[in-house]
Amino acid sequence: MSSSETPRQGDGALFEPIGRTTSAYYLTVAGLLLLVGWGVASYVYQWVYGLGVTGLNRPVAWGFYITNFVFFIGISHAGTLISAILRLSHAEWRRPITRMAEVITVVVLGIGGMNILVDLGRPDRALNVLLQGRYQSPLLWDATSISAYLTASTIYLWLPMIPDLAMLRDRGRRWRWLYGVLALGWTGTERQHRVLNRAVAIMAVMVIPIAVSVHSVVSFVFSMTLQPGWHSTIFGPYFVVGAIFSGIAALIITMIVIRRIYHLERYLKPVHFRNLGTLLLLMSLLWFYFTFAEYLTGYYGNEPEEVGIMWSKFNGPFAPFFWGMVIANFVVPVLVLSFWRTIPGTFIASVTALIGMWVERYIIIVPTLSHPLLPQDVWAYLPSIIELGETVGSFALFVLMFAVFIKLFPIISVWEIQEGREEALEVTTKRILSYLPDESLQGQT
Amino acid sequence: MSTEHPISPSPDPPSIRWAQRLILGLFFALVGGIVVWIVHLIRLSWRLRDVPSASVGISLVAIPVFLILLGVVNYVFWGLRRGGKENR
Repeated sequence: MSSSETPRQGDGALFEPIGRTTSAYYLTVAGLLLLVGWGVASYVYQWVYGLGVTGLNRPVAWGFYITNFVFFIGISHAGTLISAILRLSHAEWRRPITRMAEVITVVVLGIGGMNILVDLGRPDRALNVLLQGRYQSPLLWDATSISAYLTASTIYLWLPMIPDLAMLRDRGRRWRWLYGVLALGWTGTERQHRVLNRAVAIMAVMVIPIAVSVHSVVSFVFSMTLQPGWHSTIFGPYFVVGAIFSGIAALIITMIVIRRIYHLERYLKPVHFRNLGTLLLLMSLLWFYFTFAEYLTGYYGNEPEEVGIMWSKFNGPFAPFFWGMVIANFVVPVLVLSFWRTIPGTFIASVTALIGMWVERYIIIVPTLSHPLLPQDVWAYLPSIIELGETVGSFALFVLMFAVFIKLFPIISVWEIQEGREEALEVTTKRILSYLPDESLQGQT
Repeated sequence: MSTEHPISPSPDPPSIRWAQRLILGLFFALVGGIVVWIVHLIRLSWRLRDVPSASVGISLVAIPVFLILLGVVNYVFWGLRRGGKENR
């Protein structure tokens, strides 16, 4: 696809969100700005009066902020990991969804990191990590791996956008200068295609281990301590599975919303939701397997501290959260997706999975801290309005940044759709024929 | 992407080229800064005899990752620039 080539008439719909802004869009952005403003005001209040205005206390020093951090970092696996795996496995149905997945990754990584700064209370303390950090601490492993993931994800979002950026530059739209800068002089020569293909392939290979390392390291923040309920050898893969699960759910919801608002039914077809629904079902089963293994091992070991926390989840003060999580992460997705992998079905399963995964992060963090090892009563944690404000602000910021991205860049990769149309059929036919035992068929292409 | 593509003329005025160089420069500065930071933490742990092996072990993975990312961006930047001159 050349930069100067006009996209096929049908693909003009992919540029429409950039060129046409409706009043509904402005209203949505205004609403989101209000919610983000609530988050900012909450943060300013907390900055002035200190962390005492939150529900955090001793020993429950981690609450909503760290739950949000783990949740958002988990969602980031939507993108890059799923996009990279689909790209490397030459899954042709990936073409309309990879861009959305990559944007989700970059946006939520930033928001997840921001929640850490909020949790610090005094952001100037972040300088201590730079100046006096100790690499024995999993917190510093986190800082390093998330920095690497954010850098890699941003590059992985940008590189496959270059041909589309050149198209926007050549169409003489607003922000032409910005598109020109980011397009890096793309003119669509064979050599440029070779360079870009090679670079995207390298990045696809690189981001997979980085993404896995990120959520493993996030889990190590908990599992490297000797706290009951956290000190577990399977926490790494358990967190990664949960992250991919919530990431797919976030991607499905985003796709459905974008499809509905911008009428992209031609691009985001039922087959995309059926395939992603199958992946979501698989991850739900895997998540349940890990949860079962984690809790059964603790229960069988019967250590008093471990079992005390466990019972507080099974039939104590955290029981509504625990059983709600099981229903939202396992019962609903499995029931719905086993029989109904349609667009409404995947939407319902994804919404419950996202809620369930947020609750899962919450009941990993709070019950353990509520049961301190020193002999004292069980401590309660009740989030304050400040924490609620910052949580709502974080979610609103995610949607707002996504909305801004849609206004500036195509949310579906135009050149990859066109490439799929021009080349994928032949390439896929050749590949399928190469699997078959009958060699005489291979001459048919 | 291997089909024959019509080539558009180079569209970049000098201001865009300078901005592109600036992005590359900022990326060099970012990766350089991270490498300097990691080396600083190794030196600190060495000076304080605070398990320097942990710092060295992690930096053996982290620094190459960032250098590869820098390499990819550098490759794309110069590769697209040279590739753009092809057939012109």
